[in-house]
Amino acid sequence: MRLPSLSLFLLLYFLLSSCDASSQHTNNWAVLVCSSRYWFNYRHMANALGMYRTVKRLGIPDSNIILMLADDAACNSRNKFAGSVYANPGRHLDLYGENIEVDYRGYEVTVENFLRLVGRLSSSVPRSKRLLTDSSSNIFIYLTGHGGNEFLKFQDNEEVSAHDIADAFHQMYEGGRYNEIFFMVDTCQANSMYSKFYSPGILATGSSVVGENSYSHENDYDIGVAVIDSYTHYVLEYMEKVNKTSRLTMADLFTSYDVPKIGSHPGVRSDLFERPLGPGNPNHPMSEYGRGRGWTVEGGGEWMGREIEAGKNGRVLRETLITDFFGGVVDVDVNNEDDAELRLFEDPECISTPKAPLSPSTNTYSSPPSSRSSSSLLDTLDTYPLLRPSLAFILLGALFVLVFSGMTSGRS
Amino acid sequence: MMDAESRFRDPSSLFFQFDTIRRYIIASYWVLITLALPLWWTTTSIERLPLPTSEVYAQAQKKLEIPLAICVDSAFSSHITSLQRSIRDAASYLDVQAHPGQDCSQFPGYAILPGEQILVEDRKLYYPPSADNLASTLASLLAPKMDHRAAQYSPRFRLSFTLLNEDSSAGQVITSWDIQQAIARHIHPITSALGILHNYTIESQVQYHALLAFEPRSLSNGTVFGLTPEDLTIFINSAEWTLSSSSSNDPVFHFVLFIPSARRRPLTILNSDGTPSSSSAFLIPQWGGIVILNLPPPPPTTLHLDLPDLQSSFSSFSRHLLTLLGFPRLPPSISYSSSSNTSLSSWQIDTLLRQRIHENVIQSHNTLQSTVTLVSQIDGMPVDEQVQSQVQGSLSTLHELFRYASVNLTFAEMLAYSAQALTLSSKAFFHPGMLAMLYFPAEHKYAVYTPLFASAMIPLLAAALREIAAWRKERREARAVGDVREATSGDGPKVDTKSVL
Repeated sequence: MRLPSLSLFLLLYFLLSSCDASSQHTNNWAVLVCSSRYWFNYRHMANALGMYRTVKRLGIPDSNIILMLADDAACNSRNKFAGSVYANPGRHLDLYGENIEVDYRGYEVTVENFLRLVGRLSSSVPRSKRLLTDSSSNIFIYLTGHGGNEFLKFQDNEEVSAHDIADAFHQMYEGGRYNEIFFMVDTCQANSMYSKFYSPGILATGSSVVGENSYSHENDYDIGVAVIDSYTHYVLEYMEKVNKTSRLTMADLFTSYDVPKIGSHPGVRSDLFERPLGPGNPNHPMSEYGRGRGWTVEGGGEWMGREIEAGKNGRVLRETLITDFFGGVVDVDVNNEDDAELRLFEDPECISTPKAPLSPSTNTYSSPPSSRSSSSLLDTLDTYPLLRPSLAFILLGALFVLVFSGMTSGRS
Repeated sequence: MMDAESRFRDPSSLFFQFDTIRRYIIASYWVLITLALPLWWTTTSIERLPLPTSEVYAQAQKKLEIPLAICVDSAFSSHITSLQRSIRDAASYLDVQAHPGQDCSQFPGYAILPGEQILVEDRKLYYPPSADNLASTLASLLAPKMDHRAAQYSPRFRLSFTLLNEDSSAGQVITSWDIQQAIARHIHPITSALGILHNYTIESQVQYHALLAFEPRSLSNGTVFGLTPEDLTIFINSAEWTLSSSSSNDPVFHFVLFIPSARRRPLTILNSDGTPSSSSAFLIPQWGGIVILNLPPPPPTTLHLDLPDLQSSFSSFSRHLLTLLGFPRLPPSISYSSSSNTSLSSWQIDTLLRQRIHENVIQSHNTLQSTVTLVSQIDGMPVDEQVQSQVQGSLSTLHELFRYASVNLTFAEMLAYSAQALTLSSKAFFHPGMLAMLYFPAEHKYAVYTPLFASAMIPLLAAALREIAAWRKERREARAVGDVREATSGDGPKVDTKSVL
């Protein structure tokens, strides 16, 4: 008697909680990365800043945006319009503006710092550089730069691979650091960047299929370089239609992709994503998803996980709105005045200073500092994984040099 | 006989070379390479200390049962079994021991006593014996569902109070408020009662120009302004307002007292049907609370808000704070005893403590499990001594908690244990040293290492092979000479060996 009721209760509980978990998020975060430096990559900075403006306009506070700019195009000496970054040839809108907070700048934009955002930053890193997400956070991640099949180049000297990003996302998943992720990447062969993901709750889109370049959109002849990439330009143009209370869905965004205009075939990956993306524009080749003919390269782009999309439509889950990732607050709760009046201590004697609170984190089990300091060299090696092989090479080389010099001096 | 060409080709005949020295040189390269190999191996391998995997899985299987002794007055003795069952159904982590007693009013723990109406007082529940749903009332009192608006557990919280003047230039400006007294009166009772759960830091500020990012709806010819439910979700103008300092990484609860511009007053909250709501406060889940304070338009241009003015706003804030902290509400049928002077009964505080203990234990189980699965899944992930000791520390804390929970731990001690287990496990999980090695495809590795090593190894290998070949040739020749000598010595008397040499 007791057992069935308990199991029924548990079943109900799990059903309810799973429904809650799939659509509940209370905060939005954005990570916007421009990974290439140098003046001729002006457009990549403009891409990231354009996204920055959009997410900020749609309600994500600066404290929840991690903006990584590998170079400072605004203050480049070749910039005729100092302190400004424009994304259109007419220079109508200064993306740099007056209220911008770059969290990682210049040489701070490294693969290591990007991957450490999952939560592996050392305790000395300030709050503004941290991605302090929890299990009810939706994260929008935007990458732009020069890339290739399954990699994106950082700073012209290192690269992050699709595997690394997939592993990083999985660490965030295991650590309960996100509810859903929307991953967008604008680079050559961009769709390969999301091909290795394996953690649930990730929706991904990219600018071009494997073996295809992504192109810049327009030049400004006064600035002298291309000012924005084509894919990002059309995404941003679409996002101008979206406001904070918009009901447009993700499928609306994806069905706005226009291959001839963009010049490459954008892709979508939704097989890891639980919620349906919405109906979208019925006249677009992609709107056929889940019902028959897929969205193929010939038709206008690439869609991974299209088969799963059909099954999502019958579910009770809410459609995915653009504002789920670009917005601010999801829902609020207005107080009811008929709540019982809260009675707290009234007599002043009771308003004493609070009791010394129990702090559970005072005595930790970390290893004693003496052992730490003695192995400081090894710690540095751990912190910079590339140091180890290079150290080995240096030592090996030093031994060779020693032997050589020993031999020659012995001979003379 | 040797001609000149073959003399130069044979290294042993070069005037500046000696076989032994040359061989030492070549051998020294090989000795160095063999000596350097272990060094290369140790410096390039990742330190992956073993984690107590099986222990973690065994620990994760365990369920914490928090003992809960309730003295039930003999008037309710017939309800005891149904009472126990309903609490267990509501919260499987509670180990309820309800026992009948005659003098439950003297019992130090929880007691259920007959009374005329449903009342809570300290840890006593007065209940009319005639009423029948005691079991469900008790279940909702001891194990209510956790509010989704509550924030996740953190040992520290920061409370940030902000007075926002929407537009001081429009006329009236509030320059100061009795924030200290208001906090002392409305917030300190909560933080001290729940000080056992968290450590609180409080900060406050006043801002003078905080424009909304949208235009509120104008009602009844511009004399009243309204905020629709959609407006409320975008009320916080996060692009322009700085609501908390970023001095620490602790989670922040924001409390905003918004003074609408003198031009746009009164500003009311509208219900979804467009009628004005009676409330002027709203809560953003896990974020904080907002109160809109519409002041009557008096002549002075600057103003100080004193305690009575803040009374209603701060009572909303204290309600918000309780919600954000996950403080359970009393079921509507229950009222507080008139003799107690606070709305924070021991029933509720203890319930919150037990919920947080349960949450923390589950959470640290999950984190520990995630750590070991992740380490086994991702090969390039280092595990150093610190991670190992943090995982072990978390495990041993959990062991202690489980061992002593049923014996003699108070809820506060159990919470301290569970919080420490949680802190250690998440420290281990997010340890900065566990940054995995970057992935490089095998062909990249070959492409990088082949030009580097092939050019160095080919001459070395060639020299070694040639030297070995020369050495073998020499030995063969020496043996041949020896054979000849043996053969000739066998014939002793016939040939004079000295003449051959």
